[in-house]
Amino acid sequence: MASKWLRWTPAVAVPAVIAAGVLAGSVPASARDPLPDKTPAQVLAMIGQHTTKSLSGTLEQTSEFGLPDVPQIGPSSGAGTGSIAELLAGPHSARVYVDGPTKVRVQVMDRLAERDAVRQGNDVWLYNSKDNTATHVTLPEKAAGHKSPDSRTPGTMATPEELAARMLAKIDSSTDVTVGNDVEVAGRAAYNLTLTPRSQGTLVESVAIAVDGEKGLPLSVEVRARGQAEPAFRTAFSSLTLGAPDAGLFNFTPPPGATIKNLALPATPHAAKDMGKHHAKGKATNATGKSPSLTGSGWETVVGFPARAGGANADAPSADTLLKDPLLRQAIITVPGGRAISTSLLNVLLTDDGRVFAGSVPLERLQAAAAAR
Amino acid sequence: MSRSDDTGMAAREARRPPSSASLVVSELTLLFRRRRTQALLLALAAIPVLIAVVVRVSTAVPAGRGPAFLDRITQNGLFVGVTALIVSVPLFLPLTIGVVAGDTIAGEAGLGTLRYMLVAPAGRVRLLIVKYVGAAAFCIAAPVAVALAGAAIGAALFPVGPVTLLSGDVVEPGEAVGRMLLIAAYQMVSLLGLSAIGLFLSTLTDVPVGAMAATIVLSVGSQVLDQLPQLEWLHPWLFSHYWFGFADLLRQPIGWDSFTSNALLQAGYIAVFGALAYGRFVSKDVLS
Repeated sequence: MASKWLRWTPAVAVPAVIAAGVLAGSVPASARDPLPDKTPAQVLAMIGQHTTKSLSGTLEQTSEFGLPDVPQIGPSSGAGTGSIAELLAGPHSARVYVDGPTKVRVQVMDRLAERDAVRQGNDVWLYNSKDNTATHVTLPEKAAGHKSPDSRTPGTMATPEELAARMLAKIDSSTDVTVGNDVEVAGRAAYNLTLTPRSQGTLVESVAIAVDGEKGLPLSVEVRARGQAEPAFRTAFSSLTLGAPDAGLFNFTPPPGATIKNLALPATPHAAKDMGKHHAKGKATNATGKSPSLTGSGWETVVGFPARAGGANADAPSADTLLKDPLLRQAIITVPGGRAISTSLLNVLLTDDGRVFAGSVPLERLQAAAAAR
Repeated sequence: MSRSDDTGMAAREARRPPSSASLVVSELTLLFRRRRTQALLLALAAIPVLIAVVVRVSTAVPAGRGPAFLDRITQNGLFVGVTALIVSVPLFLPLTIGVVAGDTIAGEAGLGTLRYMLVAPAGRVRLLIVKYVGAAAFCIAAPVAVALAGAAIGAALFPVGPVTLLSGDVVEPGEAVGRMLLIAAYQMVSLLGLSAIGLFLSTLTDVPVGAMAATIVLSVGSQVLDQLPQLEWLHPWLFSHYWFGFADLLRQPIGWDSFTSNALLQAGYIAVFGALAYGRFVSKDVLS
């Protein structure tokens, strides 16, 4: 009888060995030397001075906004619906190849599909494998020379560096900047720079940026929302190789049979980009309603877009474009004074008269801002 | 399956001592000579033929509808094979694997031939391994049948030319065929874990249909669990989790991450269910 039970030994031993291997693999290697201590200012300086120009890596992005999930079932290719919210919500992974500021390729890897953005000099090609469309964009001369977060190509995921630049632009007296314990991202030791808003009036609890201990390159960005255990948004390199990628990756010719479109860049693509720095109290806009208005300051800033009038400001998000988005349409709720899209990190209010208010603040603040006009 | 085959096997087993190689060869001949195995492979090969004929006689397929790549077929016949592989991953391939793997031990037990096989000094472990090798050979044959039939019918009905990858880059037909074979290899690896599960279930019962049905149900159940976002922690452990990961082989440059993750996962399933099958089969009372 004992020998009969002995025969089951492998059936017990194999899962035990696998479990032990998995546990051993998940324990972070703490043997590595700790990074030299640095003050927040020194870490910030590292980001500002980093000279990493060439890299290839894989980005993993997850988010927990409280938006509905889009299940992907069956053999059809997923995503690629052109929805902006789709790129922000849900998990995504992308391969990033960078060789200097003017050679960039981002491949968003969808299920059985891919969205590519290839930049070579001033030419940007966007390719979507799902509907086999290629879009050509010519960047203005100005954007070619310097590397700025504004020159990022549309329709792709933001890299940690771009996001970090945007978050760091918000640093002012209303933000607490600290350096926490070292973290490990993509197998590299990194400083953990944490930005904590001092104000209680924002939905953002904290922003953590992992800064490579050696090169100063931002490796991950994690945004936490108040009252939520899971990070609301996280993007991080899961693998990273420094050095120039294969030059052939940046040569893109639209494949035969693809639908080719030419996209003209709007003249002022990012008018509202520096909103965090402005201290626009009250009515900062002109009455004709062509540019967005700002209320509040720092993390509590509320952006208001006027009702669209005759296509004067085709770029501003209008209620129509938001309502057309299939993912957002499911998330819209009716509130006093209009409709709202409420997420853990950002609230958007669409008033009945067509104005749009958005901000990382509770919905009541948006309603107050809307009522103030 | 014909009765004469099985009695032939029993007679052959009675000769002694059979070498491992000759056991494997006879198992493979037996497997692929079976009407049922041939019918399964023919049914798999019919999938690309059906797709190609339907696309040929119908009007243009709108982009982005139906299975991935369906709209590319009219431009390039090689996509027939890829589309057919994609279509057959969730159900058709696991179905055929379930039939073959579920039959391995239970089929012999059900026919009463298992006891004769064990009378010969083949050894239970060796028999288990030989049976698994047979199931694994079918894991190779099944996706290859789909890919080859797809490439053949595609080349017959549609023009063949450079292939557009998911990344928008274009490769020559030669490399495209190589990538299609890689996809077939990926599918083979994907199905090895399911075969091990089928082998284990097959040692539990003398009713082959029961083991086949249980294997197929598990493969569907695993895919359903993979769709539930509430079980996200479980997903990397489901044997069907990387089944669609072969799309990474159609990117430029090729992404090998999913291939290695998949291979590791399937190796784990083979180890666990192989050990379970060993425990069950070695302690099983088949001679009474």
